Amino acid sequence: MEEQKTVVEQAKEELEKRFSRTLAVAASNLCVHCGLCVDQCHYFVATRDPNISPVAKAEQVRRVVKGEHDWLRRIFPWWTGAKELTEEDLDKWVEAAYRNCSMCQRCVVNCPLGVDTPLVLATARGVLTAIGKAPEILVQLADAAIAREENLEFFKDFYLEQIKELEAELQKKVGDPEARIPVEVEGARFLYVPLSGAHTIMPAAEIFYHAGESWTLSMFEAANYGIFLNDPVRAKRITERIIREAERLKVQEIIITECGHAYAVSRWEAPKWFNDRQWTFKVRSILEVMDEYIQTGRIQVDPARNPFSVTYHDSCNLGRNSGLFDEPRRILAACVEDFREMTPNRERNYCCGGGGGLVAIPEWQDIRLQAGKPKAEQIRATGASAVVASCDNCRHQLGEINEHYGLNVRVMGMAELVANAIVPKNGKK
Amino acid sequence: MEDRFLEFVKFDLQIIALSVFALLYALKVYQLMKLPWPKERGPRRGSEELGVVYSFAWLFFPWSMSSTTQHIGRWVEFALYHLGAGAAILGTFTIPFWPAIMTRPVSLTMAALVIGGFIVGAIKLARRIVAPELRVVSTPDDYFSLAAVEVFFFFTAMALITEARGWMIAYFLITAAFLFYVPFSKISHYVYWFFARVFFGLRYGRRGIIAGKRA
Repeated sequence: MEEQKTVVEQAKEELEKRFSRTLAVAASNLCVHCGLCVDQCHYFVATRDPNISPVAKAEQVRRVVKGEHDWLRRIFPWWTGAKELTEEDLDKWVEAAYRNCSMCQRCVVNCPLGVDTPLVLATARGVLTAIGKAPEILVQLADAAIAREENLEFFKDFYLEQIKELEAELQKKVGDPEARIPVEVEGARFLYVPLSGAHTIMPAAEIFYHAGESWTLSMFEAANYGIFLNDPVRAKRITERIIREAERLKVQEIIITECGHAYAVSRWEAPKWFNDRQWTFKVRSILEVMDEYIQTGRIQVDPARNPFSVTYHDSCNLGRNSGLFDEPRRILAACVEDFREMTPNRERNYCCGGGGGLVAIPEWQDIRLQAGKPKAEQIRATGASAVVASCDNCRHQLGEINEHYGLNVRVMGMAELVANAIVPKNGKK
Repeated sequence: MEDRFLEFVKFDLQIIALSVFALLYALKVYQLMKLPWPKERGPRRGSEELGVVYSFAWLFFPWSMSSTTQHIGRWVEFALYHLGAGAAILGTFTIPFWPAIMTRPVSLTMAALVIGGFIVGAIKLARRIVAPELRVVSTPDDYFSLAAVEVFFFFTAMALITEARGWMIAYFLITAAFLFYVPFSKISHYVYWFFARVFFGLRYGRRGIIAGKRA
């Protein structure tokens, strides 16, 4: 009979499976412990705790990797900090990789050597998921997304009923009883993938209506908790639901709602998982679509319809991870009268503290709000009365830090702002 | 007999040490190249090639990163330290193999660079001992490597300034010892640095995050 493997043995096996060239470099002697990343991390800036700097967090994993691969590991492991993995280390990894890192990547773009600390910590997340030590709520959310496809018939009628209600609301809003929120339309140009909640459907539906777009609403949500778990099997299955839907409906493009991680997954990660599959569609963010509509004059907008000062929060997944920096700024230039940049911004922007799945974990709310302090200070410094974020997780976190730090700002989505600014072609609204 | 010893440490020992050093690095690179490399496959938004160029160029532009903009002094330290290291390493080749260029002004200029590196090294060592955020992540190798480079700088500077036989012997002995140690220590970061900057440039360039042009 095969002997039961211990948790530590399983973890070491999982770590080995993930030992790629990029990880080998990130977990090598590349990091010289210079400390330049330390105050680039919002956790450290907020807490000044040396144990939660990027280098300190990565070091917990790096030392174990060195314990397996460093040349001195057998002779003088202590010399380079190489160590054998213990169960206690795994508990510390949960803190380092899940609680104390939002995977924002600010440390990478600020490391003179290019040490990919989020890769090291994401690897730890994957190992922890595989051995059953990942936060339960993230696992449940990922599994629920997979179950939705498996039990679609059960959800479908209820979902369509909800969409009908939203459709009635849309008709009232645009003053057209023919306005539709189309579902299951074969041959539509766009498959729009929302999140749960009308706030990710209604503004987009209104914009599509005014643009005269051919679109259909997805039966699924864009959120992919598999990526927060760094579990390629779950993440792939969640993405595959949408890919199958796009293929079945023969759409030209998948349009991801205002959700940072969902966009990054579909746009950049999924092509790695479906290497053998020829995609017949493009993947874009609703941000790119709104920008295109405005630039090409497909929708008319009037900045006077948003008569308040606005600042923009670059979501880490949309900006630093996906390169969407100019699109939101062009939209804002067209849709608001008073746009104020945060400092720093674009790839230098601070994470709001809600990334990496942290907004879904209530027991870590304290540290999440604490880590949101640099963002709160950035917002306050602009003096803006509204902050726009094109990511639902960011908006959730910004809403909480707004209250926690008494910022007194309105937290908005970009689609909401654009929908406000639209000048209908029929003159109504 | 004494001259033969100087000749030995200057040439034979250096060649042996360099060969071992090169072999160990080749092994490191071979081990890396054997590993799988999950490449980016999403349709390009920007240029991977430009991304790699930018990635390497960032090192020379302190304004390209918040970390170096905020800590410009650290960037200056970095520049001085690596200039010192470059001069010290250069000396191990030029003194034995190209003595004609080692005129007095050249030797003294190189010595000045090495002394600059030595001073920065002392600051780095002190910071590592004092700063809590560095202390918590430091290993014996961190302290030893810094100290070893200081010793190397010291003997290099003395050899370049005095050009005396004794200092030269010490310089080449230290260099050889250093070459044997470096592949096992964090000083070998520059081998990985090359790979890391390429990975960074490919990813962030392709995604249109750096390197300007965005589709």
